[in-house]
Amino acid sequence: MFEEKLKELEPVFYPGSIAVVGASANSRKAGTAWVWTLMSAGFPGPIYPVGFSGGRIGDLEVYPSLKHVPGDIDYVIVAIPRQSVLEFLDDCVTRQVKAVQFFTAGFSEMDAHRGRDVEEKMVEKARQGNMRIVGPNCIGVYCPERRIPFIMGTLGDSGSVGFVSQSGGIAGKLATVGLARHINFSKGVSFGNGIDLDASDFLQYLAADPKTRVIGAYLEGTRDGARLFRTMKEVARVKPLVVWKGGRTEAGAQAAASHTGSLASSAAIWSAALGQAGAIEVYNLEELADTLLLFQQLGQWQGVRAAIIGGLADGGGGMSVSAGDACMDSGLEVPPLSIDTRKELGALLGEVGSILHNPVDVSQAQFRGLETLFRSIELVANDTAIDVVLIQEDVDIVLPIYSQKGLEDINDFFIGLRNRQSKPIVVVLPPGSAEPERLQAEQRLLKASIPVFCSMDRAARAVSNLNRYSHRQRFT
Amino acid sequence: MIKSQKALTEVESKALLRRAGIPVVEAKLARSKKEAVSTSKEMGFPVVLKINSPDVIHKSDAGGVKLGLANGTQVGKAYSDIMSSIKKAYPDARVEGISVQRMAAPGVEVIVGMSKDPQFGPVIMFGLGGILVEVLKDVSFRIVPVSERDAGEMIREIKGYPILEGYRGQKPASIPALEKLIVKVSEFVEKNNQIGELDLNPVFAYPDTAVVVDARIILE
Repeated sequence: MFEEKLKELEPVFYPGSIAVVGASANSRKAGTAWVWTLMSAGFPGPIYPVGFSGGRIGDLEVYPSLKHVPGDIDYVIVAIPRQSVLEFLDDCVTRQVKAVQFFTAGFSEMDAHRGRDVEEKMVEKARQGNMRIVGPNCIGVYCPERRIPFIMGTLGDSGSVGFVSQSGGIAGKLATVGLARHINFSKGVSFGNGIDLDASDFLQYLAADPKTRVIGAYLEGTRDGARLFRTMKEVARVKPLVVWKGGRTEAGAQAAASHTGSLASSAAIWSAALGQAGAIEVYNLEELADTLLLFQQLGQWQGVRAAIIGGLADGGGGMSVSAGDACMDSGLEVPPLSIDTRKELGALLGEVGSILHNPVDVSQAQFRGLETLFRSIELVANDTAIDVVLIQEDVDIVLPIYSQKGLEDINDFFIGLRNRQSKPIVVVLPPGSAEPERLQAEQRLLKASIPVFCSMDRAARAVSNLNRYSHRQRFT
Repeated sequence: MIKSQKALTEVESKALLRRAGIPVVEAKLARSKKEAVSTSKEMGFPVVLKINSPDVIHKSDAGGVKLGLANGTQVGKAYSDIMSSIKKAYPDARVEGISVQRMAAPGVEVIVGMSKDPQFGPVIMFGLGGILVEVLKDVSFRIVPVSERDAGEMIREIKGYPILEGYRGQKPASIPALEKLIVKVSEFVEKNNQIGELDLNPVFAYPDTAVVVDARIILE
């Protein structure tokens, strides 16, 4: 599906060469920053800085205009004042540029009528030159495989998560959250006002892209809702599509209008459209990242029967209660463990001070050693009444009881358990006072493909989101 | 932006719906008291009389509706009463006459509507009728085209769904009949782009069928 999009957008995600217009040898212009970013990321093709200053940026010559650039130009990043964009597009047509990305802002998002007018003329020129436009008012493309980061950003490993964002700020933030949480992106794009290529084009591309297995989106509005709706429907049929709609409230909608020039529809209608299209609606950046992380780690997996394990290493009582609430509020089931499992747990941990039903409180293991802890967790994971195991591990309590070595042993055990059986293990590491140790533990688990969340609520919601998609797929 | 709009009367609206295969309680226009009485007799009692005017939106509030009329005498008196009430409430309204229809047997009251969203175009709304939709905003939406599966989901999505299943000995509403009706309305508005707004309120749902009791279409 949408195979033609791969070819159509190849110059956007895999340009052979990039010109950066609005760069200068001796200033801190956005264009200059872009040139440095591309150089340090190791973009493999020619980079052509263009600006009035002449001179050099690093060892790259700055050309006075596109005309002077010596080689073919596939892709142009534009950071020049908006007054000159139309004239500039003529130069691009002359040089047979394939795609132009405008960082330049100040169009329909600023002045609905005059801005829209200029945008229409931009699109007209692009059509004449057989050229595509990304933006304006955007930070464009993120493609680890082609070594293209966002401006002043860092590249993570190439992975399977694709994303589209109307906002550059949110695209950039998602990329950095991805770096921190090992969410590895295939491609990302911020498309701003989307006057030519818009959300629908990029969603279609990602649906066809063989590197992308799950798609996230941040949207504020659309100029062609009917097309977006049809596109989302078709995309969600082939890949999980997770959408965060910004501007759900009046204040948010007002901001969206002056941010990307988006019209407002009511939140209820957007929710209806997303649900009907088979997309998973999420409500903030955290939930978007959580859900993408879980899809990346688990793929399309189904199972709502959760076992909750708390009391690592103590204080599991209240936590078990609230974790049970969090799971059931999110639509997961927390069924009783089988009688055999409970009996064996009772023998291992003792009945006093334990909760053996589900949630399970394994606090008592601290008096019987790590082996007992591991045996208990494995017993729960092996219970056939359970689809997924959510483990709350509080580093602030693990450290004084088991020491740093114990913390590492516990995480090694999780990694081993994940690798020797197929039931998903999800770990919750709540932030507290031992942040360095907690972050270290999180990194180790994430690298071993164990999804980690910082609260049970967020873990449960992500598991539930994954199930919503898989459930719908099964009954389509 | 000002769009030219034209509100169709109940009789006109129902005629269009009926042609699209959507079950309606047929309404006939009577231009005189005499005609109202003879039409009532043809249809069979009890009947309902409603003012038929594109300018009167809240018909009941203005005294423009009379229910459960059991014979010709009652129909004649209702005709006069409606005309004088409307003259008071809407002195400038264009009155084309009064619509006559059989009084529908009581069923579960639901509403089906369509409005145009600035981004997604035609959107179908579903909800329970009366106070539940007005006060609790217990409605669901779907973008046109609405499939049968979408219709099923939008019906089950409302909080008042148990009422449709037959609450406390009330007769249940046929979910398949409502699904079909919603899908037909979706097809109808998809084919007729000039419809700007549509309001089927109420629709009566019965254990085996559903029928549009009042309807209003606005063209753009």
